[in-house]
Amino acid sequence: MKIGVYFCNCGSNISGKVDSEQVRQALSLNDVEYFKTCELMCSDDGKSYLRDEIAAEKPDRIVIAACSPREHEKTFMRVLSGAGMNPYLMQMANIREQVAWVTSDVRQASLKAAALIKGAVKRVAFHKPLEMKSIEMSPDVMVIGAGPAGLKAALTIAQTGRKVTLVEKRAVIGGQPVLYEDVFPNLECAPCMLEPMLDEILHGEYAKNIEILTLSEVVELYGFYGNFIAKIKKSPRYADMNQCIGCGECIGVCPVDVKNEFNNGLDNRKAISLSFAGALPNVPFIDMAACLRARGGDCRLCDEACPLGEGIILYDDAEEMVERRMGAVIVAVGASLYDAGLIPKLGLGRLPDVYTSFEFERLLSSTGPTGGQLLTRSGRTPGSIAIIHCVGSLDANHKEYCSGICCQYAFKFNLMVGHKLPDTQIHHLHKELVYPGKEEYFLYKRAKENPNAVFTAYKDIDTLRITAAEDGIMIVNSSIKADMVVLCPAVVPSKDSGKLNETLGTTVDMFGFFEELHGRLDPVMAKVRGIYIAGACQSPMSIQQAMTQGMATAGYALSGIVGGKRLEIEPITASVDADRCSGCGVCALVCPYKAIGFDEQNRKSSVNEVLCEGCGSCVAACPAGAINGNHFTNDAILAEIEGVLSCLNQG
Amino acid sequence: MFEPRIVGFLCNWCSYAGADKAARAYPPNVNVVRVMCSGRVDPQFILKAYKAGADGVLVLACHPGDCHYKEGNYKALARHRILLRVLAGHGIESARCRFDYVSASEGDRFIEIITEMTDTVRALGPYAGNTMGKRS
Repeated sequence: MKIGVYFCNCGSNISGKVDSEQVRQALSLNDVEYFKTCELMCSDDGKSYLRDEIAAEKPDRIVIAACSPREHEKTFMRVLSGAGMNPYLMQMANIREQVAWVTSDVRQASLKAAALIKGAVKRVAFHKPLEMKSIEMSPDVMVIGAGPAGLKAALTIAQTGRKVTLVEKRAVIGGQPVLYEDVFPNLECAPCMLEPMLDEILHGEYAKNIEILTLSEVVELYGFYGNFIAKIKKSPRYADMNQCIGCGECIGVCPVDVKNEFNNGLDNRKAISLSFAGALPNVPFIDMAACLRARGGDCRLCDEACPLGEGIILYDDAEEMVERRMGAVIVAVGASLYDAGLIPKLGLGRLPDVYTSFEFERLLSSTGPTGGQLLTRSGRTPGSIAIIHCVGSLDANHKEYCSGICCQYAFKFNLMVGHKLPDTQIHHLHKELVYPGKEEYFLYKRAKENPNAVFTAYKDIDTLRITAAEDGIMIVNSSIKADMVVLCPAVVPSKDSGKLNETLGTTVDMFGFFEELHGRLDPVMAKVRGIYIAGACQSPMSIQQAMTQGMATAGYALSGIVGGKRLEIEPITASVDADRCSGCGVCALVCPYKAIGFDEQNRKSSVNEVLCEGCGSCVAACPAGAINGNHFTNDAILAEIEGVLSCLNQG
Repeated sequence: MFEPRIVGFLCNWCSYAGADKAARAYPPNVNVVRVMCSGRVDPQFILKAYKAGADGVLVLACHPGDCHYKEGNYKALARHRILLRVLAGHGIESARCRFDYVSASEGDRFIEIITEMTDTVRALGPYAGNTMGKRS
């Protein structure tokens, strides 16, 4: 095998400390065919020198003794490729950063450099030519969750002509904020802000690229980055999404009343319902559990009331299982609130006028149960409202983190109450107050300037006590009178997150939020390649942050999977020698990327090259030595160890 | 003075990068073998190093929580602890085999570890069990 060594002087960076002649003498002719020095290998002249050398010498392998491979390995690999030599047939010896720059004595530096070069020479003999592989991929994307983050991602991707499957478990899209009247920090009208975007999704120029599956959930996900297949369970809506015009005639005639979950049960809706005024898509759905037909009746009132005639209300609509193929998956299923019932002294569920912040949002909303009129359960106008911050937050007994958004909406409540009821007292009870960001402090300032607002700090939520007094009035901590109490609980993962996490094969963090690949560098990548996470399912966050994350996931999907292109696969991966594999499964246990599959029938492991990142954990773990780590093979590394030490033994 | 021969297995992402950032002279006794992840360090690499003439072996990894491959450093640590017991059975002192963490910005920490390791192994003297290394 013809192995050539190129020793880069790097100006005087290397040659000033490492004597190339001493190195040359340390390498025997058995090891290398030739040893040449050059001035600056990474310069344009140096690169063309290397190209010409490869053409003239036609080496089988080369070693470049120069700077750190972290500096110029890729540079020289490109030169090799350009010269028609497989780029993996080269090894660098780092004699600048790890020798010349850090060794005081020339003789010692030269000896160390010779050892590293000898190691590289021994190693490179075991290098194999490796090729990039490529496979077909789907440019389409599935977005799970049609809240702000999911909608933003879906719309952005659809605008590039890609097909998006938008899966939403509720009957309506828009997520949580469509249920709000105003949003912080500037008290913008939430529906006015969101509806144009919802309309764009439903009826805009790119709507044809978005398939919206409401009342649907992903039940299985197969495959891997570039080629996922999802099974989606579609529950029946009992109304024709395409033909219904949303006039609502069917709703008025329905004889069944049930609690309206969109208003947190604060009022009733019919068995056929539109959720709330302005809900989109503007097509009612039948809650079959409540419908008389489910209880053996033959009520057809809604069908008969339909001005479009028969065939719009579909009583025999049935659950459907649909399958979609996609290259990437975006998870944006939002979050939920910590159960304040776990802190019984706060009275939630026991005292009628203790509300969660979600419930209070609906009481403030003009599409809510009271049409936006602020009234207690008994119909009185509240003279005093206590807003309790940090419910179950910053607390080792509950949730230790700060959700970051509760103070902002609590200040919003302050101002909205002030607009509606200028004489009503507002008590903020808080553990901490937070208002980071360029706009947030101003909202706090406005809330603080409300002459009816009183801010009181408390230390421990367990010392708060809300008791009933006369006439529906409550006493908070034996001093504050309140007609209504609003709890601002910690933001927690939605209850379906855990199940979805299992379905997708992703991971969740210690709090149950979808876990990011890297908290700072890749906060919207899940730990499974090709699955991205956006919005409050990743961490508590504002609408603004959720929108930004939605865009970020769209960016990854758009740059990673490109229509008409193939997915390139790096060759430095692991591979299983099936003949040696005993089927113990240790490799799958140590793989951090779920890249190792197990064939139950043959009892053999196999590596998915798309998912493998080439860390080599499985190679080191395999007790049978059946896994090969491309480019970092046992043979190559053992040869390098022996090469380094044999040189030192001579020295 | 006895100059110990030490092989250092460094992960590409943190400790190798940290070694590249070392900005002052340190003992030349550690010869680095680069691996992509400390989790790739097969115990047989370490045994091979002793057999081929090393007096000491270092495995340097990303700090806990920083592994480029999420958790390779934990696997490396677990293997190291088991290997120490194997080495003890062969009369190899645990101080001849060190596992530690160096981040991509810790050039100084790298120098400290190299210097300490060199001093420690120098004090222990040559590893007598190697069969391939002949002493000059």
